[in-house]
Amino acid sequence: MLEETLVLFKNIRNPKYDKSLAGYKKTGGFKSLKKVFGMKPEEVVQEVKESGVRGRGGAGFPTGLKWSFMAKGTGKPSYLVANADESEPGTCKDRELMLKDPHLFLEGLMIGSYAVGCHHAYVYVRGEFFPAIKTLNAAVDELYADGLLGHDPLGSGFNLDITIHTGAGAYICGEETALLDSLEGKRGQPRVKPPFPAVSGFNGCPTSVNNVETLACLPFIFSDGGVESFKSFGPQNNSGTHLVSLSGHVNSPGVYELRMDVSMKDIIYEIGGGIRNGKKLKGVIPGGSSSPVMKADEIDVLYNFDDLAKIGTMMGSAAMMVFDEDTDVVKLLHRITRFYAHESCGQCTPCREGTHWSRQIVRDFLNGNGSEEKLKRLDRVGGNMLGTTLCALGDAAALPIQSIVNKFPEEFRNYYATT
Amino acid sequence: MPVFQIDGEPVEYEPGEKVLSAALRCGKIIPHYCYHPGMSIVATCRMCLVDVIDLGNGRPAPKLQTACSVDATAGMKIETFNQKVEEGRKLVNEFLLINHPLDCPICDQSGECTLQDYSFKYGSGKSEMDYSKRVNGWRDIGTFVALERNRCIQCSRCDRFTREITGTNEFGMFNRGHELAVDTYTDRPMTNKFQGNMADICPVGAITEKEFRFKRRVWKLKKNHSICTGCSTGCNVTIEHDRNEVFRLKPHENQNVNKWWLCDEGRLTYRKMNEKKSRINQPLGLIGENLEGISWEKAYGAIAERIRELKPLPQEVLALTDTHASNEELFLIQKLLKEGFSSENIFCPFPTWEQSESDFFINTLITTDKTPNRAGALALHIKGDQKNKKLKKVIEGELKVVFVLGNPFENELEFKEIIKRTQLVIHIGVFHNSWSEMADVVLPGQFYSEKEGTYTNKNQRVQSTEIAVKALRRTRPEWQIISELSQALGHKSSFESIPQVFNAMVQEAKAFTGISFDKIGSFGIELTKNTKDPGKKVVPEMTAI
Repeated sequence: MLEETLVLFKNIRNPKYDKSLAGYKKTGGFKSLKKVFGMKPEEVVQEVKESGVRGRGGAGFPTGLKWSFMAKGTGKPSYLVANADESEPGTCKDRELMLKDPHLFLEGLMIGSYAVGCHHAYVYVRGEFFPAIKTLNAAVDELYADGLLGHDPLGSGFNLDITIHTGAGAYICGEETALLDSLEGKRGQPRVKPPFPAVSGFNGCPTSVNNVETLACLPFIFSDGGVESFKSFGPQNNSGTHLVSLSGHVNSPGVYELRMDVSMKDIIYEIGGGIRNGKKLKGVIPGGSSSPVMKADEIDVLYNFDDLAKIGTMMGSAAMMVFDEDTDVVKLLHRITRFYAHESCGQCTPCREGTHWSRQIVRDFLNGNGSEEKLKRLDRVGGNMLGTTLCALGDAAALPIQSIVNKFPEEFRNYYATT
Repeated sequence: MPVFQIDGEPVEYEPGEKVLSAALRCGKIIPHYCYHPGMSIVATCRMCLVDVIDLGNGRPAPKLQTACSVDATAGMKIETFNQKVEEGRKLVNEFLLINHPLDCPICDQSGECTLQDYSFKYGSGKSEMDYSKRVNGWRDIGTFVALERNRCIQCSRCDRFTREITGTNEFGMFNRGHELAVDTYTDRPMTNKFQGNMADICPVGAITEKEFRFKRRVWKLKKNHSICTGCSTGCNVTIEHDRNEVFRLKPHENQNVNKWWLCDEGRLTYRKMNEKKSRINQPLGLIGENLEGISWEKAYGAIAERIRELKPLPQEVLALTDTHASNEELFLIQKLLKEGFSSENIFCPFPTWEQSESDFFINTLITTDKTPNRAGALALHIKGDQKNKKLKKVIEGELKVVFVLGNPFENELEFKEIIKRTQLVIHIGVFHNSWSEMADVVLPGQFYSEKEGTYTNKNQRVQSTEIAVKALRRTRPEWQIISELSQALGHKSSFESIPQVFNAMVQEAKAFTGISFDKIGSFGIELTKNTKDPGKKVVPEMTAI
């Protein structure tokens, strides 16, 4: 029987765990930070590179590499921003971490800040996460009271402040440059890259934007023997455990911490307890709504960054949405296109016009006005958005459209054949 | 300078320059909407796609790149025109057009609309969009420009203009996604003095000038390069006219003077160019009690005869001029006095003026000196100021002959009372004013748009104007009038053309040494010797919010 591997959820799975600072310290908290303060920042970055931890926000970019790109000697301050604007449909892992074990994440943030030489770290939290915001603020207050934040924590000579900043409810602000714009007080719109945030980010200073889960991995990596055991949790280049947000028509949905060498089939049938009501599986959205959809016969694949990329889809933020044989994929696509039409920032042409247009076309099918021509048009509009936009939202909107249209064309045809 | 290749041709670039900027500089046509050389790069219209076939390291870019955001690098190879690029542009154009009303026949931008141009090239002729188009409606956003938001393609140039160029921040983008629309904040009309530029930079017919729209189709307009004479900055403009009527002034790019911009006040000076009512349309002479129309020959003859009778001494001659006159006119009238009467009694008003100093370049375009050639008069050492002791002495002494060019000292009633009693007052000017009323002979001149001339701006830059519209039949340019007048008086020098006058001026006036008429070109040339202007006051500009 497949079981969870507890690294990040070590405390959360303990029913008696006290999430306050005292409780966290009892479980060995802030030992890693103390160890890190004894190292040079470059050594910390090197160690993170060694561990092979990849960004858990969706793109899977190696974190150590990202930090090593940070511009040095510019005379400007460096910043570390934790991207807690978790809004990809299906994803709910960062919320768990922030809500139930805030100090683990904050310790990771502090380790990261030390590594990149940041003296004022920001946490950009999704505005709707009210309980998580409350917990984080309380945790930061505790840290200041304990002297772990502010001037010279643990006698390290390193000063650090943390500010919890709440977003205002825009999906696009999860994109790192839009997040920085929003943090600066501007309209949250993605910027032109290059320059990348590592060169010119928050207020024009070198900035690293990291996902909450990525940062939460750091205390474990810097524990004794952490790097080796972290690497052992998955195949090469996909080290560590990751949090899988399993949702949809499974018997036991939830957030599970799994190794990276587990197959999707096992996740659905063993961790998720199989399909609800004994139904058959129709398909899976493997990594949040922006990833290409997989059909039921494709799920015998290891659930990690590289193996999913090989078969033309992506793990994204590891939000697996399972749907059974009764699911109407046209309605599913309508819901997805509606989401992207609503969340497109609108600054660049293909995404602004394409997301809305594709939504209109899908709605036509639901209203019984579909046709073969419109199906082709839908595929074309999706394709025209792909790779032509400024940020990845255009791709995110295009990939589910193209994959659903190409994998389930008969479902669209049913709509206009029967009416 | 390092070199990269566009369509196989080597192109030089400044380090850090973008591909689009370098390509436009060497005359390549790459369609674009959101890119403007004066503003930040957002790369959002996605129209300026080019194929990077070699990034400089032997490898091609994985997909089409927007030329506006790609840095040129040594050894890079760009194709601006191939099938892949064409298809990329076609699909962006389709997206832009699905919600853009196809109302070109009634849109005032028609003819100078880049969306229209590129739709002819890349549009399909048949829309696959079978839903109703987006409707955002028009908004009243200010006194100078009209906003029809249905036509907007969300390029955000106007938004960036108020943020980055004027710094007034009164305009912005609202809502998001498909509903993204431009508007002013809190429904207030705009107050900045440069709204006309927003109509210029708008690539479509969303923002148009209220002053111009629906008056003339743009393809009928003929264009002449000139300078704005509304103040001493001397912004470069294009006078756009049809059938001898001026319809609008548009800024003409000159990086040394106004960059791409022009203030609204300057744009409105076109009205004066069409002014007919107060124009002096033929030579007038005092016959009996009234001014009556006479011929040019008669006017010159009468003046010459009267001066021969009066035999004025040097201190009995006075010339008053304003700084609306061109360098050549000022030079000639100075020369007339010097050669004909051995007099140096030429004066013009030099009131103090303010130059604003601001973080936003555009604010420095407007000065409080509303004449175009103050620096020219100073360079020619024309004295001035109503409080000038010498002028006072001349006025209070015996005066026999007074030349008045334009409308100087218009509020100095005391002067006028004294000069009114003078035996011979000759007024050379364009419009009727109190001087023409008291003159014995009135000689009709021509307006800026009707004659050639050079003007020296506040930064000592000499710039020339072209003839844009035909002047009234019985008027003559002032420089010609003065030259003919001096011939009638039997003086030696005679001039046939503006270049000739200019080059004579270069010979005689020290401040103009080292330049020639040919060197002025279309961007002007700065005087090598700086003449100090005691009346200049620099004030910090407070940006209105």
